[in-house]
Amino acid sequence: MKATKLIFIMMPLSIFLAFMWAPPAEILGESSRIIYFHVPLAWGSVLAFVYSGIVSILFLADKKGKYTLLDERAYNSAGIGMVFTILAIISGAIWAKMSWGSYWNWDPRQTSITILMLIYIAYFSLHSALKDNESKGRICCSYLIFAMITVPLFIFIIPRMYPSLHPDPIINPERKLKLNAQMRTVLMISLFSFTLLYFYLLNLMNRISFIDNKYKEKYYEE
Amino acid sequence: MLSEIFRNLRKDFRVEFRNRAAINISIAFAGITTLAISLTAGGVSFSPRVQSIMLWIIMFFSAMNGLAHIFIREEEERTSLFLRLNSSLESVFLSKLLFNFIFFLILQVVICPLYIFFLQVDVKSPLLFLLILVSGGIAISSSTTILGAMVSKAGGKGSLFTVISFPILLPVLWIAITSTTDALEKRASAGFGNTLFFLAFSGVIISISFLLFKYIWVE
Repeated sequence: MKATKLIFIMMPLSIFLAFMWAPPAEILGESSRIIYFHVPLAWGSVLAFVYSGIVSILFLADKKGKYTLLDERAYNSAGIGMVFTILAIISGAIWAKMSWGSYWNWDPRQTSITILMLIYIAYFSLHSALKDNESKGRICCSYLIFAMITVPLFIFIIPRMYPSLHPDPIINPERKLKLNAQMRTVLMISLFSFTLLYFYLLNLMNRISFIDNKYKEKYYEE
Repeated sequence: MLSEIFRNLRKDFRVEFRNRAAINISIAFAGITTLAISLTAGGVSFSPRVQSIMLWIIMFFSAMNGLAHIFIREEEERTSLFLRLNSSLESVFLSKLLFNFIFFLILQVVICPLYIFFLQVDVKSPLLFLLILVSGGIAISSSTTILGAMVSKAGGKGSLFTVISFPILLPVLWIAITSTTDALEKRASAGFGNTLFFLAFSGVIISISFLLFKYIWVE
């Protein structure tokens, strides 16, 4: 995964562009710059969750053991997803304080990301409770798949239940990305950089899991 | 397979009602919580929204004390291996699902009259109220059956069951609370549609659980 090393160029570039090149939004002012970090973090948290779910399906379907350490990969992805989710919640809360006057008001978007965090917390609780269980991988992967099935329900239910203050509907009722060309470019670069960051970290953690596994195999052989 | 399901179900009820651990704890928890709310409120009546929130929160936490017990007991009493050898996967899952559904229904039969009596709840649309309770119960018990199987493998540790069930059951609780409020205020329009949502949700969850159960149950 040499391509992920592009992160060392892309991340400083996106930070530079977010603060120095992108203009402030008309109504929201300088606080709008948080969009270049908050949106990619939220995207990364969902990407990590979907990746964990798909890898979990592969783990359960892979009866011949064609792939190695799939359950560990799902766990590692969930770990990165959890960090991204917490950072997305914090950055969202800071932005909410600056534009709505309070850190938290159960906006549908805040609610959805909190539920995602609760699913991650539940998954890690189950993972740690099954520490010495041989079926740990199967049970944890089953839980992730089970949780993944319920997530789309929130996407349809929550917006029906609560009105949203989130900027998208306010700025454009048609729900299209109507940003200034410069802002849109920076947002896209930032989204790409955070996706790269996710894959870079995932690759790193998977390699650590692989080495750890090799070490344990050797240790138990001796 | 039907006879196997009913045999397992009969066995589960016999064992459960021999010591009544799960049902006693759940009913006692529900009774104490309802009384505590009524006592501390001191006769103050709540709005329909608050009443339905409290009703479902009481039902959710009472059920959490008992719904996982059906699988945890098999592991604690070391009868799970015997059950695995003796009954097919499908019959074990379906019998446990039916047990949980009946268990939740029994809980509701006890909790609801107590709640209505102590908190002076005025149900303006009893039919919708009943439908929401039954369909919500089906949705909760169908989601928690497989989660109970997962928790039993972890040794039924503390509140793990509540922690892993809560994010899954949130859509059910949300809709149930809104529909119960409608039933209390006699705004039945959307309420009947929501019972369909519960049945659809249960159908999806049962299908997925059915597919995943073998990965959890078979060692």
